[in-house]
Amino acid sequence: MFFRIVSDSFGRKPRRKLLTAAALALGIGVTTATLSVALDVGDRLEREFRALGANLLVTPQADTLPLEIGGVDYRPVSEGAYLPAADLGKLRTIFWRNNITGFAPFLDVPVAWSISGRTLPEGLANATLVGTWYRHDVPVSDGTIFTTGVSVTNPWWRVQGRWFADNTPSASNAAAECVVGSSLAQRASVNAGDVLAVKSGDRTQTCTVTGIVSTGSREDDSILAPLEFAGTLAGQPGRYRTMLVSALTKPEDDFSRRDPAKMTPDEYDRWFCTPYISSISQELREILPGTEIHAIRQVAEGEGRLLGRVSALMWLVTFAALLAAGLAVAATSATTVLERRAEIGLMKAIGAGNRMVGALFLTEQLLLAFIGGASGYALGVVLARVLGQQVFGIAPTSRLILFPIVLALAGVVVFLGSFVPLRSVARVEPAATLHGE
Amino acid sequence: MAPRSMFWRILRQLLSASRGRLSVALLALVSGAAVCSALLGLYLDAESKLTREFRTLGANLVVSPPSGHGSEPALADAGVMGRIEAQRTPNVIAAAPYLYLVGETSGQPVIVAGTWLDEVARMDSWWKVDGRWVPSRDDRSECMVGRVAARELGLAAGSPLDLRSGDRSVSLVVAGIVNSGGSEDNQVLLNLPVAQELANLPGRIGVVELSVAGSPAQLNDYANRLAAALPGLEVRPVRQLTEAEGSILGRIRGLLFWTVLLILVLTGLCVLASMAALAMERRRDVGLMKAIGGPMSRVLRLFMAEAGALGLAGGLIGYIVGLGLAEWAGERVFGMAVTPRWEVLPLTIALSIGVALAGALPLRLLSQIRPAEILRGE
Repeated sequence: MFFRIVSDSFGRKPRRKLLTAAALALGIGVTTATLSVALDVGDRLEREFRALGANLLVTPQADTLPLEIGGVDYRPVSEGAYLPAADLGKLRTIFWRNNITGFAPFLDVPVAWSISGRTLPEGLANATLVGTWYRHDVPVSDGTIFTTGVSVTNPWWRVQGRWFADNTPSASNAAAECVVGSSLAQRASVNAGDVLAVKSGDRTQTCTVTGIVSTGSREDDSILAPLEFAGTLAGQPGRYRTMLVSALTKPEDDFSRRDPAKMTPDEYDRWFCTPYISSISQELREILPGTEIHAIRQVAEGEGRLLGRVSALMWLVTFAALLAAGLAVAATSATTVLERRAEIGLMKAIGAGNRMVGALFLTEQLLLAFIGGASGYALGVVLARVLGQQVFGIAPTSRLILFPIVLALAGVVVFLGSFVPLRSVARVEPAATLHGE
Repeated sequence: MAPRSMFWRILRQLLSASRGRLSVALLALVSGAAVCSALLGLYLDAESKLTREFRTLGANLVVSPPSGHGSEPALADAGVMGRIEAQRTPNVIAAAPYLYLVGETSGQPVIVAGTWLDEVARMDSWWKVDGRWVPSRDDRSECMVGRVAARELGLAAGSPLDLRSGDRSVSLVVAGIVNSGGSEDNQVLLNLPVAQELANLPGRIGVVELSVAGSPAQLNDYANRLAAALPGLEVRPVRQLTEAEGSILGRIRGLLFWTVLLILVLTGLCVLASMAALAMERRRDVGLMKAIGGPMSRVLRLFMAEAGALGLAGGLIGYIVGLGLAEWAGERVFGMAVTPRWEVLPLTIALSIGVALAGALPLRLLSQIRPAEILRGE
C-alpha cells in the first residue's frame, strides 16, 4: 500500500517531480564539480608552482663555508668538496622517484676567457663558467633514460639561438658548445657562432657559442657550458658542487614540522609515506652519501601557504554550492507540500497519522534525492571536466568515491529541505482542507 | 489619481495578506543574494589578497648598477634609498639596501652582508630564526648569522663575534641564527652602517632589493616608475618569481571565476524556481482581477511590482548578510577581513530584482486564460 501510493504519486505528477529532480541534479552537479576540482587543485597548482624552480639544494657535506656574493663563489677551485655526477640516475630509483620532476648539477669555474681573433675590453677578461645540464640523458638502473637539467629546474630561463648540445660523450673535443649570459654577451659583444677560448689554471679549452641566455639572475654574467666541459676544465671531471632538485611535495603542515626521530613507528610510517619535503630530503640524504640536502625554504614555505589559501577558498566555494543546492530543494519541496494540502487532508481524514504522511513524503523526496543525486553526479563529472580543461588544461581525475558521498549529501540536503514543510503537515486540519479553505 | 492609489493599496494588501508564502520567497531571495554578494566580494578581493600572499616569497624587484657584475664593487650611492623611499606606495612591502664584503673571523673568511635588518624582517618573513631578529636598523652591536656559517664558526644566539676586514674590526653579539635555505645561510647579516665602516665604504651600497605586492602589470608599472626616478641604475624584476606568479595567479583567477559563475547561475535558477512557484499561486488573484474588469497589462504590472519589491528587499537584506559571510570567509581563508566592495551592492540588487521579475514572467501566460476557468478551480 505504502509503495503503491509512492509510485502512484510519481506516475500522476511527473512534471512536478521532474522539476524537483532537475533542481537537485543541478545543485548536486555543481557541488560535484567544485568538489572534484577542490580535491584536485592541490596537485594541479603544485605542478604550476614548479615554475618557481627547484625546492631542494644538494651540497657536499664536507664543504668549507661557501664565499658567495650574488651567486658567484669566490673560493678557489682547489678548495671545497665535490660530488660525483655519474650515479645521479639513482635519484630515479627512490621511493618518491615519480615526485622528482628534475635535477640539475652545477659546477662553477672561474676562468680567464677570450673570443678568438678579438681582444676583450678591460675588466671583462675574467668570468665564471657554469657547468650544468640543459637536457641531459641520465641512465637509470632500471634501463630507462631520464632526461633532465635546467630546462626542468629553471624553466624561466630563455635562450636566443639554441642551447648547447648536452650529450656529447667527450667534452674536450673541438665540437664543444656553450651559451653566454645576456648581460655578459652584450658587454663583450659576443654573438652566436663565436668561438671562445676559456682558461683555468694551465688548462685551456675552446667552445662554440650557440646562443645567448637570459635568466634574470647571476647567470646573465657568466658562460654556461655542459657539466663535462666544466669538469675537465677544472680538473674535476664528472663532478659537481651543487645540485638543484625539483620535487613535487605536499605542503608543510604541523605534522611535517615535527622531528621524525621523536615519532612513534606508526607516525614515522605515515611521515615517510607522505611526500613532505622533509621526507623526500631524508631519502635523498640516504641515497646520496656525503651530501647535505637543504630545502629551499623560500619556495617551500610560500608554496604551502598559498596552496592552503587556495584550497580553503575552493572548499568554501564548494560549501556555497551545497548551500545553493539545499536552497533549491527546500524551495521545491516546500511548494510541493503546500500544493498538496488537499491530498494530505484526505489522507488524514481516512486515518493516516502525521507520522505516516511524513514517511510517505520523505520516501518520495529521498527517492527524488537518489535520482537527482545520481544524475547530478553524472552532470558534475562533465562539468568538472570542462572546468578542469578551461583552467588547467587537464581534466581532474574522476573519483568514484565521490559518488556515495554526493548521494549522501543529496539525501541530507533533501531531508533538511523537507523538514520545515513536513512539520506544517502536522498542522493540516483535514476538515478545513477538504472544505476547500 | 484614484487608480494610482488603488494600485498601491492592492500592492500593500498583496504584501501583507499572505505573509507565510512571501516569507518563503523572501527567504529564498535573501539566501540567494547573500551567497551571491559573499562570493562576488570574495572573488573581487581574492586577487589582491593572493598577490600579497605571494610576497612571502621575498624580494621581486632588484635595483643594481647597470649591467651589474656581481663581483665588481660598483656601488650606488646611499642617496638612492632616499629616492626609493620617495617612490614608496602602500604596495611596497619592504625595501632593503645590501652591501656585501668578505670579512674574516678567527682566520676563517665569511661573507658579511650589511642591510637594514628591520626591512629584511618584513621582506623575508619566511626565515626561521633561532633567537630573535635585530629589531632596528640603527642597532650597531648585534648581528644575525646564517645556519651554516654559525655551525662552521661555532656560534649560537647570544655568543660574541669579532669581525675583521683589512685592518678594521668590529665586535658584535649574535642575536639570532637564520635558517633561510638560501645563500643567507652562509652569511653574517648586520646593519648597513657597520658593514660600511668595516668595508671602509661610507655611504655606499651594492644592490637594493624590494618586495612589491600587486599584479604583474602593476609590478611592471612600478618598476618603470622606479627606473625613471633612478636614472643610470638598472631596475629588474626577479623573473623566477614574477613569471611563476603570473601563471599561478592566472590559474587561480580562472578557477575562481568559473566556479563562482557556476554557483551564481545555480543560485539564480533556484531562486527563479521558487519565485515562479509563488507566482503561479497568484493565478486565482489574477483570474479574479480579470473577471472584475482589470486590464491584463495593469494586473501584470501589479504583480511585477510585487515581485520587484520582493527582489529589492531580498537583495538589500542579502547584501548585508553577504557582507557578514564574506567577512567570516575572508577571516577563514586569508586570515584577514575582505574589504567590502561597493560595486557588489548594485550588482546583487540588480541580480535579485532581475531573478524575481523573471520568476513572475510565467504570469504572462495567464493572459490567454479565461477568468471563469480559473475561478471555477481548474
